[in-house]
Formats: sequence, structure tokens, C-alpha cells
Amino acid sequence: MRSAILEKKTLIWIGIILITITFLIFKEELDWLTQYPKELIIPFSDWINFLMDKFIYKFGWLFLNVSWFLSWPINAAQWFLHSLPWVVVIFLVTIVAYLSVGLRLALFTLCATFYMVLIGYWEESMNTLSLVIISVPMAVLIGFGLGVWGYFSKRAEKIIMPILDIFQTVPTFAYLLPILLLFGFGTVVGLIASILYSFPPMVRNTILGLRRVPENIIESAIMSGADAKQLFWQAMLPSCKKQILLGVNQSTMAAFSMVIIAAIIGGTADIGWEVLYYIRKAEVGQSLVVGLVIALMAIIIDRITSGFAIKSDQAKRGRGLQKNTKINYLNFAVLGCVILFILSRFFALLDDWPYNLSAWLAVHINDLFDAFVESFRSEIKLIKNFTLFFIMLPTKIGFQQAVSPFTWGFQLETIHKILYFACFLITSLLFLKNKKSEFFVFTLLLMIFMYVGLTEMPWPALLIIYSFFSWQIGGYKLALGTFFGLTFIVVVGMWPEAMISVYICGIAVVFCFIIGTSLGVWAAHNTIVSVILRPINDTLQTIPLFVILIPFVMLFKIGDFTALLAIIIYAIVPSIRYAEHGIRNLPSEVIEASKMMGATTMQIVFLVKVPLAMPIIMLGLNQTIMYGIAMLVIAALIGTNGLEQIVFIGLTDGNMGKGFVAGISMAIIAMIVDRITKTISEKRSEALGFKIK
Amino acid sequence: MSKLLSITAAAVMVSCQALFAGNVPESSDPIKVTIQDWTGQHFSTHVAAGLLKQMGYGVEIVVSDAITQHPALASGNINLSTEVWTNNVGDLYDGLVDKGDIVVVGELGLSPKEGWIYPPYMEERCPGLPNYKALYECAQAFGSAETFPKGRLITYPASWGTRSRDMVASIEMPFEPIPGGSEGAMVAELKSALSAEEPVIMMFWQPHWIFASYDFNWVEWNPTDERCVEESQQKETACGFEQAKVQKVVSKGFEEKWPAAYKMFKAMQLTNADENAAILEVDEKGRKVEVVAAEWIAENKSIWQNWMN
Repeated sequence: MRSAILEKKTLIWIGIILITITFLIFKEELDWLTQYPKELIIPFSDWINFLMDKFIYKFGWLFLNVSWFLSWPINAAQWFLHSLPWVVVIFLVTIVAYLSVGLRLALFTLCATFYMVLIGYWEESMNTLSLVIISVPMAVLIGFGLGVWGYFSKRAEKIIMPILDIFQTVPTFAYLLPILLLFGFGTVVGLIASILYSFPPMVRNTILGLRRVPENIIESAIMSGADAKQLFWQAMLPSCKKQILLGVNQSTMAAFSMVIIAAIIGGTADIGWEVLYYIRKAEVGQSLVVGLVIALMAIIIDRITSGFAIKSDQAKRGRGLQKNTKINYLNFAVLGCVILFILSRFFALLDDWPYNLSAWLAVHINDLFDAFVESFRSEIKLIKNFTLFFIMLPTKIGFQQAVSPFTWGFQLETIHKILYFACFLITSLLFLKNKKSEFFVFTLLLMIFMYVGLTEMPWPALLIIYSFFSWQIGGYKLALGTFFGLTFIVVVGMWPEAMISVYICGIAVVFCFIIGTSLGVWAAHNTIVSVILRPINDTLQTIPLFVILIPFVMLFKIGDFTALLAIIIYAIVPSIRYAEHGIRNLPSEVIEASKMMGATTMQIVFLVKVPLAMPIIMLGLNQTIMYGIAMLVIAALIGTNGLEQIVFIGLTDGNMGKGFVAGISMAIIAMIVDRITKTISEKRSEALGFKIK
Repeated sequence: MSKLLSITAAAVMVSCQALFAGNVPESSDPIKVTIQDWTGQHFSTHVAAGLLKQMGYGVEIVVSDAITQHPALASGNINLSTEVWTNNVGDLYDGLVDKGDIVVVGELGLSPKEGWIYPPYMEERCPGLPNYKALYECAQAFGSAETFPKGRLITYPASWGTRSRDMVASIEMPFEPIPGGSEGAMVAELKSALSAEEPVIMMFWQPHWIFASYDFNWVEWNPTDERCVEESQQKETACGFEQAKVQKVVSKGFEEKWPAAYKMFKAMQLTNADENAAILEVDEKGRKVEVVAAEWIAENKSIWQNWMN
């Protein structure tokens, strides 16, 4: 009788739930259910280490030569930037900023660059900058080349795209060591790491740009007799200039973040190294003062490059700079440089700034921070314990173990258990009665998850649940991908660590999504909120990630909770941004229509705007997850126990294979989640009948 | 600042050049000396570099990490490292030393100490300290929400090995070992615990600057004459931790290429007192480590002249 009412998939879900329960019952008897047998672990990491040894033995000299070759442009850039007096560099950058966006950015640039001088970190800033200005052109060239190739050849695209995915999702820590082993030691490692990390956005934007070239442009070019070369260089390329410049912008930002991360293996005395030095000493003030330099540099470069991208769009419409004015500006810049250079020969102050304000600033920040900690100590503890007892521990080890007199104030008795299961079962049956079979399944799964805890769930059960869920979202392809990806994690023996990563990241993402999206929706309706949020978002995204960690440890101590907060702080930004963007760019007719129908503001927001913006909000969720995974790796520095820690151990212990396998495992999780969220977003937008850009 | 330094260095160099009129330097290639991420090492590196410069060698200072220096040493991208702590080297180092790609020159002379530290106020809450046996009784005095009813022990970051965890397991101590993640996080934890007089116990090492700024006591173990292995101890006879050695190492072929530098480096010795004094100057008084090292060189001529002969 029932099977007639229930859909097929609900039946399968019930089957899966029954299997899970069986697994749980036999957990005690069958060890392999909770812990994949050690004897069956495939020693991938040993194989990788072995192969790498052989490879370096055979071809090491080749890479060392490349490395020697690459060290020249960096040394040249460093020499050049160091030999220019700081006034000249500031002057030049300010002019570029003025040309790109206008007076406001020029003023900002002036203040920001002067800040670097003022606090006495000019030289280190220039070291960082020289790495970026050498790596970005290389990344852009490589990315552009691959992008063009990918556009013209379907087969090439099929090879390139997965590689891009891998480079962008494997934690950067995991490929630092292989680069180090291959290319030897020094600044070149940072350079190569940052090229590898920053070329993928360029490829993506190039392909996207070329695809979007309007048909009529190509046709008219062909009709006016252009050959293949002319067609490409003179017709197609100019019309997708904006997209390509956006690619340059994204590559630059990626290069920046990588240069900082690469500091961890040393090689260059750059800003990243200085920041790390203060972090190791737990100097909150100093690390913030120095870390801000990186944020400022990144913001300036971001605004300048994106400014040029927008300008190029306007130029097409005839609002760009005239040739005459261009020459005038050039003359002005050259003249200014010469004058300032000569001046700096007479006033040493303009060449080598003798004061160092960083210590003074740092003391004040420290005092402020200490006062804050002092006055909110009990509140901080309350928040921490509440989250830990009622959210984190239950998710990790289940109510079964999390509830104790010390945490919840009582022991878990039979009566509580009966109540717990009864509540969930009744709710789920109510859902079933109302034909909401998805919610029915969800409640049942939640009941099991929360009771047992994510890290205590038998891995075969999770494997089936995740795979079937993927099948429901994206069909058999996604399901197979999920299944084999997760199986890889199981057979290399990293499942328990993977689940710890998933647990921390998962909670963080849920938090970010709820709070971030709410903030974004608010900001979309309130300009003041938007204006306040923007610089905060910018800083959070560009400041070196580890700077955030130390103050958090001071507040909340070493442990999972601190890692969670650090991830939330970083990963919440895309949720805010996408939600705001999605709501602000809704077609106005729909909103007008609902206003005319007499909907209240709240109704419009929650019943019209949010559902319509859902595809874009889902993309924000996607980005939040990616950012969360990226930050997770950094959180290994404050003592978590998941995959990220293995990646980190692999790096610091010199065990390349281990770190790499853990890195690949993280990438697998990232890619699965990426595909699932993207598919949901696409389905939503198809259902709504419009395309998202 | 760096300009000023190079001027003083140059001045000292000229005055000492006379000492080495012989064929030093034997090679015009610069000796690449690695600097890492703790102040004590900064000091010993700058002392070694300063002395090599005085002998007439070109010296290049390269930043690296405690582990990444090993492949770099093996490939000759780094030629000299003043401090390799044998407890924190990973498998990579032993393999490279066995193969002969890294040459151990000898010990630097530091006597490092490693073990569990706690702030003095914990002795009121856990009478019986510093003896380790007290910890069995008052684990809860060190407890926290996450670890209750066990005590909370912060250990070294996972990448520095698992000795505290092994020990806690083998002597069945009611403590939950939590990896510290990184030096910064550990120091932050100590600072924050001290400011509120909260309980804390942590695996730590000396020489470290934090002992110059704050008071800590060490947990004491049973004395032993034999080698103390962490993972096979008994509750009654626990002997604590095997103490590390600090080795001076150079890359393969260093001795042949720069024989005089090798001889000097082999003779070079620094003590805990030397490093602690320098660490205090740098980390508490905020002075540049280069200046502090140059001062040491200027003041201890009689000591290092012996190394060169």
C-alpha cells in the first residue's frame, strides 16, 4: 500500500537509512566499519615520494637551470625598486591610480603607500611587489595562451579545465614542497608557486571573453576580408578586452595571496616573512600593522587593474583618454620622476626614511586589544562554551557523547533518548503525511547524524548517503564522481581526518551562509550598511590570513572553536557580497509588479527578492565553501586535527607524498561540493527562467 | 639601519683583514647561511655570518624553515646552518645525513631543555608540583570545557612530532593532549592564560625569549642515567623527555671549498647565556638582531679569535 504513495527515491532513502542503522548496530562487532583497516590502505604517499625522488634524480638539473634563469628578472626587479627612492615610486603609483580611476583612488594610494614608508617597511614591501610584478605578467601570458588554445580546441579545453580545478582547489601548502624540491630554494619558489596559483583565472576569463564575442563582429570581420590572424587580433581580441583585463585583475589578486603564503617556506625577506615573524611571537599589534601593508597593496592593485578594465570598456564607446592627453600625462610623469629623483639626492629623507612608527602603533593596538579582552572575558567564555557544548560537540561526536553533566548539566538517560527519537520520528512522519518526502528523509538523517556525530558515523554509510545525494542533485555522473572521490579518501586512510575537516568547515559554512546572506540582503536595502561593509570585506579578503589567527587564539585559546571563528571571518565575505549583488541586480519589473499587487516591504524581500536572487546567493554559498576550505588549511596553524593538519605536517616534515595526498583529498571534497552547489544554482535559475552571469 | 650596519661591518672587516692575509677566501662564491624563524637562531646565524665576513668570505643570508632547509642544504642552495635541533628534524634529515648530502660539523654548545611548563600560580592550585606525580591528582585544575574531566595539555604542533602524546599514553596520565599548531599560537595561549591567571600547562623549550619576560616552572621527572625514551615509560619511573642536541651542519663539499671557514665553524661555540642575553635584547628591548650580534662580536674578540686559529 505504502509504496504506492511513496516515490521511488524516498524508498531508496529509507533503504539507505536502514542500512546505516544496521551499520551502527554492528559497529562494535565490525571494526572496519568505523576504521578502515590499516592493512588495506594504499600507500599512495610512498609511491609519490619514490617517484619524486627518481624524477629529481633524473631531471633535477633541468629545473635548477630554469630556477637559475628565473632568478634574473626577480633580482633585476628587486634591484630596480630598491634603487628608486620611495618618493619616486609613490609618485608613479599615484599617477597610475589617478589615470585608472581618478582623484579619490589617487589620494587613497598616496596615503596608503606613505603608510608603508611611515612604519618602516618600505624595503620589504618592495620585495613583495617585485615578486608580484614578475609573476603576474608570466601568469597572464601563460593563462592567455592556454585560454586561446582552449577556445579554439575542444580537446584542449577538456584537458585544461580539470587541471585548473586542481590548481585552484588543492591547498597551496601542498604544492609548495614539490616546487621546493624541484626548483631548489629561494625567491624562485615563491615566484613559481604564485604563477601556478594565479594563471587559472586568466585562462577562465580568456575563454569566457572569447566566447562572448558577438557573432556579428566576427561575421563582419570575415566579410570585410580579414584572414584568421586579423580576425583574432583585430576583431575578436579588442571586443573582449574587458573580460581579459578582469582576468588580469583576478590573477594579480591570486598572485598576491600566494606570495604571502609562500613566505612560510622562506626564501625572500618580504612582507609575508615579516608578518610570520611577528605571528610566531604572538605580537598582535605588530602583525596587524605589517599585515595591513599587504591588504593596502592588494586593494590598490585591485582598484587600479579593475579601473583599467572598466576604462577599456568606456574607451570603446569613445569616452576614453585622447591621445594628446596621454602624451601630456606621460610627460608629466617623467618630469615629476626626474625632479623627485634629483631632490632625493639632496634630501636623504626622501630616499631612506629614518623613522619607524610601527612599534609605536603596535603598542597602542596591543593596549586596546588587552583592554578589550579584559572587559569582555566572561562574555567571551560564555559564547565559546555555548557554541562548543550545543553546536560543535554534538555535530562532532553526537549527543550520545556530548551530553554530560559538565556540558549540558545532566546525564543522558533512557528517557531523554526516547524523547529525542520520538520528537524526530513524529516530525518526520508529519512531513511524510504532508507529502514532503525530502523533509521526511532529511529529518530522519538529521536524527541519526546528531545522535551519533559526524566523526563517529561508519564510513560506508556516509559514502552511500553522499553518493545517493549527489545522484539526486546531478545525476549519475555526479554520483560516480562523488563515490570514487570519497573512496579515494577512504583507501588512502584519511577518512577520519577528512570528516574532522568537514565538520569544522560545515559548521562554519552554515554560519556564514545564514549571517552573511542576511547581512548582504540588509546591505542591498540600506546604503549605509553597504558603505560600512565594503571596506571591512576588502580588508578581510586581502589581509594575510594568518594575521587573523593570533588575536583569535588570545581570545579563545587553541582549539577547534578558534579555528571555526577564523574560518567564519574569512569565508563570510562572499556570502555577503553575492547576496547583495544578487538582490541589487534583480529585474526591476518583477519588483514593481509585486509592489503594485500590494505586497509589504517584508513580503517583497522574503517572498519575491530572495527567492529570485537564490541562484546568485547559491553561487555565494559555493564561494563561501571554497574560501572556507582555503582558510581551513591556514587554521592548521592553530592546531586542528583534520586533513589540513596532514597537509601542513607534510610540508613541515618534508614528507611530500603525505601532504600531497591530503591536499588531493581536500581538493576532492572541494570539487564535489562545488559541483553540487553549482548544479543546485543552475537548476534554480532554470526553474526561474533566467540565466545567471 | 642596514646601511649603518654594513658600514660598521665593513670597518670591522678592514681591521681584521690583516689577520687573514693567506689564501682566504679560497673561493669567491658567497657562503649561503640560512636564517630561520626564532630569535635565538637569528643571533647565532648573524654571529657566524659576521665572523665569516671578517675572514673575507662573501656571505649571503637566506631565509628558510626548520624543515625546508634540509633539501636546500642537500642541493647546495644553502651551505651552512647554525642550529639544527635533532628533536625536530623529520625523517628527511636523517636520510640526507646518512647519504652524506648534509655534513654534521658538531654541536653548537647550547644545552636545550624541553619539557612541560606551567606558571607559578598553578602550584597553589595543584600542590605537589613541580613533581609530575601531582598531575595525576589535579588534572582537573588544568581542565577546560573541551577536555573535561581530563586536564588540557598543549603539546608541540603536530608537525614537530608526538612525544607528549606518546608519553601521556604510556604513563596513563589523565590529560588530553592538544597540538599547539604553531609557535605563535602557543605563545598567544601562554600570554592570554597569564594575563587572566588561567590554568595552563604546555610542552615548551629553552632557550626561548618567553623565559626572559615571564616566569614559568618546569615539571620535574625522575632522574635517569640511561636514554629516556618517551613512549616506553612507566607511571612510577617516568623520566620525562629525551633532551635534544643542537647541531651545526654544512652542505656537502663545504670543507673542500672553504677549508678555513669550515675550521672556524667547527670551533664555534655559543652558550645558553649568550643566546638568552641576545634574545632579551631583541625581543624585549626591540633592537635589531644584526646590531646585537655585531656587538657580541665586538665584545668577545678573545673568544672568537681562538676559533679562527
